[in-house]
Amino acid sequence: MQFKKGVLELCVLVLTAKRDRYGYELVASISEKFHIAEGTVYPLLRRLTQDGYFTTYLMESQEGPPRKYYRLTKQGREYMNDLVLEWRIFDRGVNQIIGEGLGYDET
Amino acid sequence: MTRREFMDEMGSLLSELPDKERLDILADYTEHFLMGIQEGKNEHEIAEALGSPKLLARELLAGYRINQAQSNASVGNMTRAIVATVSLGFFNLIFVLGPFLALIGVLISCYCVAVTLLAAPLGMVVQYGIPTVSQERLFLLFGSLASVGLGGMLIIGLLRLTRWMYRQFLRYLQFNVQMIRGK
Repeated sequence: MQFKKGVLELCVLVLTAKRDRYGYELVASISEKFHIAEGTVYPLLRRLTQDGYFTTYLMESQEGPPRKYYRLTKQGREYMNDLVLEWRIFDRGVNQIIGEGLGYDET
Repeated sequence: MTRREFMDEMGSLLSELPDKERLDILADYTEHFLMGIQEGKNEHEIAEALGSPKLLARELLAGYRINQAQSNASVGNMTRAIVATVSLGFFNLIFVLGPFLALIGVLISCYCVAVTLLAAPLGMVVQYGIPTVSQERLFLLFGSLASVGLGGMLIIGLLRLTRWMYRQFLRYLQFNVQMIRGK
C-alpha cells in the first residue's frame, strides 16, 4: 500500500515517545500490526537520525549482540506531535467519508 | 537467502558509499539478523521479511545523496540526489524530474530577464553611441540607472530564491523517497 510508508514514520516516532527503543524492537512492534518490508524501517531510522529527530547509542545486552538504541530528541518530539495531530485530522476525515459513503449515519 | 548472501549483496550494492556509512548500515542489518536468530527464526525467514536488498539499497542511497546535498549545496550533489531518487521507480521520474525541470526553466528565464536589464544600457550605447543632445543623455543616464537597479535587485532576489528552492526541492525529494513504494 502506498501510504503505509508515510505512516511508518509516525509509528517509530510514537513508539519511542515513552522510552528508548532498539531497531529490532521497533520493527517487531510494527510488523505485528501490519505487513511491511521490515528492512525499510532502518533507512527511515537513519533519515530521522540525520534530521536530528533521534540520537542513537549502543548498549550491551545480556543475551545477543549490543543494541543500537534510538532516543527521541526535543525536536523529534515536536515533529511527532505535529504528525500525530495531522494523522488525527486525516483519520477523522476519512472515517466521516466512509461513514457517509456507506450510509452509517449517526442520525 | 541466507544472512551471508543478504549482507554480501547489500555490501556490494552500497559500495559507492563511504566506508563509515556503509559499515554502519550493514551493522544495523547484522544486529537485526542476530536478534532474529536469537528469537529462533531462521536466516531465510528473516531475510525474506526484510525485503529485497536491491530496493533497500536504492532507498538508502537516495537517503544518503539527499543528505549530502543538504549539508553541501552544489549542482553535482543535487544532480546525484535526483538521480538516486529517480532510480526508485518510474513514478519518481514523473513526479521528481518533471517539476524539477519546470522549476529550472522558470529560474533560468528569470535570470535571463535580470541579465538583459543589466546589459541593456551597454547595448544602447554600443548600438547608438553616446547621444549628443543633452536631453537624450539625461534620458540614457536615468534609463540606465533604472534598468541596472531593477536588474540588480532582481538578481539578488533570484539568488535568494534559488537557495530557498534548493532546500525546498530537497525536502520534496525526501518526501518522495518516503512516500513512494510503501510496501
